[in-house]
Amino acid sequence: MLSLAHLDKVYGNGAHALDDVSLDVEAGEIVALVGGSGCGKTTLLRLVSGLEAPTHGTVSVDGEAIAAPHPAVGIVFQEPRLLPWLTVAQNIGFGLDHLPASERRDLVEEALLKVGLAGYGPRWPRELSGGQAQRVSIVRALVTKPKVLLMDEPFSALDALTRATLQDHLLALWEASQPTLLLVTHDVEEAAALADRAVVMQPRPGRIFADIAVPLPRPRDRLSPGFVEAKRAILGALDGSLSQIPGATGGKPAEMSAGSWW
Amino acid sequence: MSEIQTLDLQTKRNARASTRAASSRLGGGFVYGLILPVAAALLYEAAFRAGLVQARLLPPPSRIAETLWKLAASGELLTHVIATLLRVGLGFGLGAVVGVLLGALTGSSSLARRLLDPTLQALRAIPSLAWVPLFILWLGIFEPSKIALIAVGCFFPVYLGVMGAIANVDRKIVEVGRAFRLSRLMLARRILLPAILPDTIVALRSGLGLGFMFVVAAEIMGASEGLGYLLVDGQQLGKPDQILAAILCFAILGKAADWLILVATRPLLSWQDSFARSG
Ligand SMILES: Nc1ncnc2c1ncn2[C@@H]1O[C@H](COP(=O)(O)OP(=O)(O)OP(=O)(O)O)[C@@H](O)[C@H]1O
Ligand SMILES: [Mg+2]
Repeated sequence: MLSLAHLDKVYGNGAHALDDVSLDVEAGEIVALVGGSGCGKTTLLRLVSGLEAPTHGTVSVDGEAIAAPHPAVGIVFQEPRLLPWLTVAQNIGFGLDHLPASERRDLVEEALLKVGLAGYGPRWPRELSGGQAQRVSIVRALVTKPKVLLMDEPFSALDALTRATLQDHLLALWEASQPTLLLVTHDVEEAAALADRAVVMQPRPGRIFADIAVPLPRPRDRLSPGFVEAKRAILGALDGSLSQIPGATGGKPAEMSAGSWW
Repeated sequence: MSEIQTLDLQTKRNARASTRAASSRLGGGFVYGLILPVAAALLYEAAFRAGLVQARLLPPPSRIAETLWKLAASGELLTHVIATLLRVGLGFGLGAVVGVLLGALTGSSSLARRLLDPTLQALRAIPSLAWVPLFILWLGIFEPSKIALIAVGCFFPVYLGVMGAIANVDRKIVEVGRAFRLSRLMLARRILLPAILPDTIVALRSGLGLGFMFVVAAEIMGASEGLGYLLVDGQQLGKPDQILAAILCFAILGKAADWLILVATRPLLSWQDSFARSG
């Protein structure tokens, strides 16, 4: 459904961010992209979103090539990026300009309700907490009903408790329309909690190192043996991806790189 | 249509918020601001009445008020105020419109910036008053040369402010617009315009301030009416009370004009998350 074929990205300054990355994602699948800092995760999302063009290779959704931002692809950035001069409701409705006002209002109300922010519509973004703002930015991307939703470390700035709550929120939202979800994360637990597959990347240049299936039913019990096993598998691959960096961290013991992968 | 409705809703909401803010500011700020000048005036008046000061060069507030009242009663003051305000209004309007347009152009197109900005910056380095002889030669000694001078004075802060505001718009916010596939026009309207509004208003306010500065210069250099004329006339006839009355008028008009911009634009800025708001 979402298909990345031989993606290469070299930035203007010569940084080789991605090298021959190919990935196929099924409709409705949740894929977590995990990897050390600078291995090209954000770059990958930006290519898929059409905000940035690949040096080589193609991105396609249902066979249609993505060369510029496309209605089938929604993106949630690492920061909420709400427009400060629009109210919460107007921010959520930002991509619904083509709809009549009443229909837009209903969609926005429904979206606010779903993320537990009913009644927050008339507030300004500055009046929201970090977690609330991120929830608004997630539904802003979701109300347009994209087929593919991209998320770049959407919860990384939040505390562990809020993060776990928002992960549940996210699953509930995903449940409703089941978009294909490509989620960048630093958090192995997050990957195990949400994803059907964890794709581990390796830096310099960015490549796919491992592709780990997480065949657990939802809702997932974070204390179950299967969950712990999945976390261990992802962490193991992550360690492997970092110990194989030519030169850089090659000589360091495994437990060191486990601590320094982020 | 639908967009207009949301906008309408928003302005209503904002208007409510801003009247609240304005009234609290009027209640608190206005009174605080008056304490110092009123106290100083009363003190000086008392000193004068007690015979402690010589009033020939610095007349007491009561004399200035009296002069002001006479000027107002004869209708003369209104003529001067209107003449000055017209000059500032026309000059500022002209300078601000051109400043906003050119600032928007150089801010949004790097080609335009590379072509125009160096020249404009060089022109900015010329003290505006240096243009006066040329303007008089070109435009005569009457209104057009005065308005041209004021317009030039107002132009530069507005131009610089708008250009800088566009250059400083957060790339991340612009990207949100791109991700939602806004056309260039819509991007300008829904993202750039609101984003540069606060800085643009600051630029307009400093432009207007310079407008009042240059209207005095223009009127001192030769005018038969206007507050600047009252200044010169007061000097030539040795009437410090008239000079001070005119200065007082300038202070009031300048402050009122600035306040007007503030109040008129506050509803558009109630979303701002700034230090001043929290204080
Ligand atoms: N706009 C850019 N111009 C030049 N080089 C860039 C740019 N953005 C990223 N890079 C480089 O590309 C590489 C990949 O960056 P990217 O932001 O995709 O990493 P990441 O995996 O998202 O890292 P992190 O986990 O720290 O967010 C890095 O080496 C970075 O220096
Ligand atoms: Mg990143």
